[in-house]
This record gives sequence, structure tokens and C-alpha cells, in this order.
Amino acid sequence: MSGDFAKLMEWADEFRKLKIKTNADTPHDAKIAKEFGAEGIGLCRTEHMFFEGERIKAVREMILAEDLEGRKKALAKILSMQKEDFKGLFKVMDGFPVIVRLLDPPLHEFLPKEEDDIAELAKEMDMSIEKLKEKIESLHEFNPMLGFRGCRLGVTYPEITEMQARAIFEAALECKEEGMNPIPQIEVPLVGNVKEFVLIRDIIQNVADELKVAEKVKFQIGTMIEVPRAAITADKIAKETDFMSFGTNDLTQMGCGFSRDDSGKFLGKYVENGIYERDPFQAIDQDGVGELMKICVEKARSIKPDIEIGICGEHGGEPSSVEFCHKIGMNDVSCSPYRVPIARLAAAQAALKEE
Amino acid sequence: MSEKEYVYSFEEGKGKGKDLLGGKGSNMSDMVALELPIPSGFTISTEVCDVYHKNNKTYPEEVLNQIEEKLLELEKKMDKKLGDKDDPLLVSVRSGAAVSMPGMMDTVLNLGLNDESVLGLIKKTGKERFAWDAYRRFINMFGNVVMNVGHENFEEKITSMKKSKTVEYDTDLTAEDLKELCKQYKEVVKEKSGKLFPDNPREQLQMAIDAVFGSWNNDRAIAYRRMNDIKGCIGTAVNVQSMVFGNMGDTSGTGVCFTRNPSTGENKFYGEFLMNAQGEDVVAGIRTPQTIDELNKVMPECYTQLVDIYKKLENHYADMQDMEFTIQDSKLFLLQTRTGKRTAQSALKIAVDMVDENLINKKAAILRIDPNQLDQLLHKRLDPVAKKEAELLTKGLPASPGAAVGEAVFTANKAKDMAEEGRTVILVRNETSPEDIEGMNAAQGILTARGGMTSHAAVVARGMGKCCVAGAGDINVSEEEEKFTINGIEIKEGDFIT
Repeated sequence: MSGDFAKLMEWADEFRKLKIKTNADTPHDAKIAKEFGAEGIGLCRTEHMFFEGERIKAVREMILAEDLEGRKKALAKILSMQKEDFKGLFKVMDGFPVIVRLLDPPLHEFLPKEEDDIAELAKEMDMSIEKLKEKIESLHEFNPMLGFRGCRLGVTYPEITEMQARAIFEAALECKEEGMNPIPQIEVPLVGNVKEFVLIRDIIQNVADELKVAEKVKFQIGTMIEVPRAAITADKIAKETDFMSFGTNDLTQMGCGFSRDDSGKFLGKYVENGIYERDPFQAIDQDGVGELMKICVEKARSIKPDIEIGICGEHGGEPSSVEFCHKIGMNDVSCSPYRVPIARLAAAQAALKEE
Repeated sequence: MSEKEYVYSFEEGKGKGKDLLGGKGSNMSDMVALELPIPSGFTISTEVCDVYHKNNKTYPEEVLNQIEEKLLELEKKMDKKLGDKDDPLLVSVRSGAAVSMPGMMDTVLNLGLNDESVLGLIKKTGKERFAWDAYRRFINMFGNVVMNVGHENFEEKITSMKKSKTVEYDTDLTAEDLKELCKQYKEVVKEKSGKLFPDNPREQLQMAIDAVFGSWNNDRAIAYRRMNDIKGCIGTAVNVQSMVFGNMGDTSGTGVCFTRNPSTGENKFYGEFLMNAQGEDVVAGIRTPQTIDELNKVMPECYTQLVDIYKKLENHYADMQDMEFTIQDSKLFLLQTRTGKRTAQSALKIAVDMVDENLINKKAAILRIDPNQLDQLLHKRLDPVAKKEAELLTKGLPASPGAAVGEAVFTANKAKDMAEEGRTVILVRNETSPEDIEGMNAAQGILTARGGMTSHAAVVARGMGKCCVAGAGDINVSEEEEKFTINGIEIKEGDFIT
């Protein structure tokens, strides 16, 4: 960052109230973000660590396994990869909080489609191609964004949650051994009901107890707020959760009822016609989705006044959205590394505009 | 009970503000208050624009009366009358909304000329060529802006005139040539619009005013407001101002300048000028201008005065200014000042510098930077290894920083269409104009054969954060054939360039 840029950022930091974190899935991205002044990781999407080559095969195996046995086999592969990934992150973000979101793979993003991918996977899994194809068919969903994803995986297959918790804690403990100061915050995705959260939280807590994590490492267990029902029942959830983070991409999807993947066809016209001033996926729809956020903040703070509330959707780096987050009293925003400076400046401007 | 005021002379406009008078109008009144040399005139407020559109494009009586009143005042002040056959008053009609929108809305210069008054202009100035050229430009602008005759129709005539006289530049045409062109231009207007070119100056004025108000709701203005998220403006104002001429000869000229470098933010007077030219020539990029420091050699007294003025302005507004000036017979006039558009890098440097200079405080500096512009700083650069191995086609002026790769495309509409398909394109033009704005926005970068650092392409590209190379004079662009050639190499639509 050049002299003038750095200076202005310094001044911005003097005035802003919001903490600025980053969405990063790899140590490389985390490093860039830190150089831009990020004060932690607001979102690590663990499924993104699995998007290529060998790794995606492991996730597919896990999704398509026939039984607990098969699932556990895939999970063991993922565990070791995950642990290394988390260590890398904790290392780069030494001393800064890192929010790790449990696996949230919407199936249509993960299932193999190409013939050769299917063939290869069948071999890996010791399954016939027809059998595998049947399995893939059986997993077909009409609304994958509302289907078997997020913590629903953990509720149905607790071993998945258990594996991830183990990977995170083991990585943290090892980092601590090596003289670092990891601050893991485990985040549960797609919570819509406090009981769902408690179930998953207990699985994680059990692993923590088993590994005696609390004696060495400070950690937290929190939740995404991306399902409208969660925003509206935030008081009940606040009783049980350590922190909250708005997943505004999904909150906008469900709140406005727009399919993220399909709305490109018509949203342009909506903006042209002034129905929405801006694309709600780019800037927070303050009148609608924003109200859900306000309700959540009010209700949560009525139970736990100091509860940390952040945001990690695309909106976290968009100036008008950052301003909105500041106005409704949130604690932090998280955005992609290259938008961190933008968020810092926007946060400062939001604070100054109030004067 | 006094009636509502709709029209303000520049003197009266003091303190009335941008929302009412528009940026240009409010700046005019500021400059009068600062005792700067500006040509006299008046502003028809933004409220009239609003009223005009709400009343189905007509005006209440008091508005028309007030306009006439201020016009008479102006005539008296300048001791010239509109349409006079011995010493005619000529005016410019310019738009100006509360928020600066460069090139978005249309301007008419040299209004008041007709077959009779042009002779008066010749009589008064003794400059035949200048007068016919002014008339020609007027017919062109008026025909284009007010009567919607495409610019290319006039271009065609002047190009074939130059060809038939075997000359390269407009300035090579004689008074006789220009007189003939005026005739031809009027015929073009009649042919393409179905109407006669108006001879009555008051009719010309009213039509021009209508056109400015009308253009508030044209496609490109609406697009610009949408792209830049501009809301809450009730309309544009109209500024009617006495003309001064930069094309009266060798002791006249015109220029555009910035109080600090709009690209780097360096605290150095920056700009360009052309001798013997009118404002449009510099901004539209038709001829390549000289850098502002050279004015010190060409007209040192005016340069000194200009420096004095720019310092005054910068201190007054506590921000970098973009100024337009004209020198008529060695006399300097300021035509416009506004907050200068600049790159992110420049914005940062200027803000930080001004805090160091105690011109503004930290809070103001922070509020001044547009967070969306910061994106520009985190821009793509050419990979140095790839750059070394690449074939250099040509060089131009570094109008706007960054790097871009894309398929060459030669019209704004094509650029927009191709970009919508997900393709990356580079818009290649001889020069860009306001119609091109959506195409410029869709492209990864912009390349123009003509134009300087303050041409339309340069200013708009900088504001958009798009990489732009302007004034690449060695390329030969053919917009009809959708290709450009350089050193025997042909680049057609769809060919990738960096």
C-alpha cells in the first residue's frame, strides 16, 4: 500500500467503529487481506477448500457414500486435509479471530456431472457406474439452495460435524503447541431454529471436552444468520450462541424470494424499472432484508447486549451496505481481501456521516 | 406580492446554491463574487426544468417574461443587441445540473448568428474567416443539439470540402469555403429535420433553452445518473452567457486545465490549450493541444493571470478544480470551474496533501474519497514478463491507468452487446462522445486515435476507472469497416488486443 493510501487508511481507522474482517479460504488470501488491514477472518468457507482435483473427490465420496462406513472413510481423508488447511490459516492469522464455517455444500455445486468424473469416482468408491449414477439421481433436488445443505448435513450425519470440529480443534491445539495464539470461532451454517443450533453445538462441545481444548485455547461456537426464521427468532438463538454473522447472500435469496442462480434473467429489469433501486444481491435491500437484520440485532441484544454480530455476504465490501451495518449497530463486516480497504474507508465515512 | 424568481443574473446568483442554479450557474456566481473575469450572463434555474417537464414542455408566463428581462439587461450590459446587423451579441447556451455530469448534456455556442448578423460580426471584428467559421459551428451545433440532425451529416460536408480543396485541417479552409459550408449546413438541416434553420435569434434562443431542458431526460443522461447512482436532482439549469472567442486569431485561444494533476495528484498545474480555437476543439479531441506550461511562452501575461486565478479558486473551494478558459484578443476569460474528476490515486494524493497543507482536515479528506473508486488502485497491471515478449503495436497518451485485454470492437453498441454475452472487449474509436458512454462502461479498456489528456475519452475513462490510451495518432481507425490498421497490420473486430 503506497504512502498516501496507507495514510488515509490510518486516518480511516481512527474514526471507524466497525471491525473489518475478511472472507478467506486459504492462507494466501488471508495474507493479502491482512496486508490490507483485515482484523480477522469473518468467514472461512470450508467447502471451498474442496473445489478442486483430489479434494472434490473426497467431498463427493462423503456425499455419495452408501453407509456410515463409507462416509467415515471419506471423512478420514477430509480430516487430515482440513487440519492442514486450518493450521495454515491460524498461522497467518496468529492472534486474530478466525471464523470457520462448517461445511455447507449445496449439492448441485458438488455432484459430478461429467461422464469421466462419474467413472473416476465410481472406481474410487468401489462402486459400479450404474450404482453411482443411481445414487446421484436419488440425491437430485428440486431446490438445492433450500435442500440438503448447511447444518442439515450435520443433523443427519453428525459424524461430519464431529470430524470438522476435530480438525479445527486439533489444528488449534497444534498451533498453540508451536507457540502461536489461535482464536477459532466455529460457525454453524443455515440455522433456522435454535434447537438445530443446540444439537450441532453440543456435538462440537463434546469434541472440545474430549480434547480438553478450553484449557489451552479460547474458542467460540456461533451461528450464521441467513435463514429469515433465524433472524426473527434471534432472541431464542442469542441465549445459546456465542456470536452471529449475517449471511446476506442467502438471507437476500430467502428474504426476497429470489433464486441467486436464476434471478440474473430478470433482476436487471427490476432495477431498470426502479422496483429495486439496486440489485439486492449487490447492495443490502435496506427496506426488506435490512429490516430482518434490524429485528435480529434488536432481539439478540435484548438477551445478550454484548453479543458480537457481523456480516459475511458479498455485501460486506459494498459501501452502502457497510454504512447500513454501522447504522444498525453491528460489530464488524467481512469481505473479500481486495475489498478490505474499501470497507475500512466506508466504515469511517459511515461513522463520520453520523456526526 | 412579488412573483417567484426563476432567472438570475450571475451577480444575483450569489449564495443561491447548486440545487437551484446548477453547478455551472452557481460557480459563475461564485466567480463573480471572487472578482474573476467571466463573461456576463444569466442562469435559468433548475426549478424551471422541473416546471417545464411537469407542464408538458411549456413555460408559465412569468418565466418567459423574466428570460426576456434578463436578456435585455445583458444586451444593455454588453452594449450589443442579439441579431444586430452592426455589432451583434452572441451567446452560449449551456446546461448545468446540481451534480457535475461532463459531456452528458448539450451545449450551443455562437447563438444569435444569421445571414444578417454575421455581416455585423465581420464589420465589428474585421475578421471574415473567423465570423464564417463561428456561423458554421453554430449551425452545426444548433442543428445537431437542438434539431437532432446527426453530427455525421455535417462532418460529411466539411470532409468533402476539405478534400475538394486538398487541405487536411479545418483551419486550412478559407472564408469563402466556410461561407459556402454555412449554406450547405443549412440545407443539411432542412433535409434531415424537415424544418428551416431559424433565423430569428430570439427563436434560436428559445429553441436552445428548450433543448437543454429536454435533454435532462434523454437516454444518455438517464444512463449516466443510473450508473453513478445520482438521485434527487430536479433537473438542469440553463446558463446563457455572452460569447467570447478563442478562435479570433493568433492572440486568441482556449484551454482546459486542472489545478492539480488529475491522474497522479501531483500538485502541479496541469492542462492543455489550443491557440485560435473554440472550447469544443480541446474537449472533443479533434486537434492535439499544447501543454499548459507552454502558454507561459505563448502568452505570458495571460498565463500569470491564470495561475493567480487557479490559486484563488483552489483556496476558495478547498479542492482541485477543473477549469475552462478562453483568451480573446489577449484578454483572459474564465468560462467554467468545477470540482475536477480524478483517478483514485490522484484523489488520495490530493486529499492527503490538502490535509498536510491545512486546507482541509482529516475528516473531510476521508469523506472526500469514493470507496468504490479505491477499486482502481487495486487494479490489474500488465505482467512484466508477458509485456516484454508482447508485440508493441503503437503508443498513445496514458489517459487513464490500468491494463486491459479484450476483443477489439468499434461501436459502443457492439461493446455493450458483446460484454453482455460475457466477452471482454476493448472499445476502439477515433474519438469518443457522450453517446458512447454505455459502451465505454461495458469495455475493459478504451483506445482512441485522437484526443489529448482532457478529451472526452480521457475524462470519462478516468472517472470510470477504465484503462484508456488516447491520441494514438499512428493508428488508422475505420469505424465503418470495423477495423484499424497500424504499420501494415490490420486489427479487425474480434481480434484480441492488450
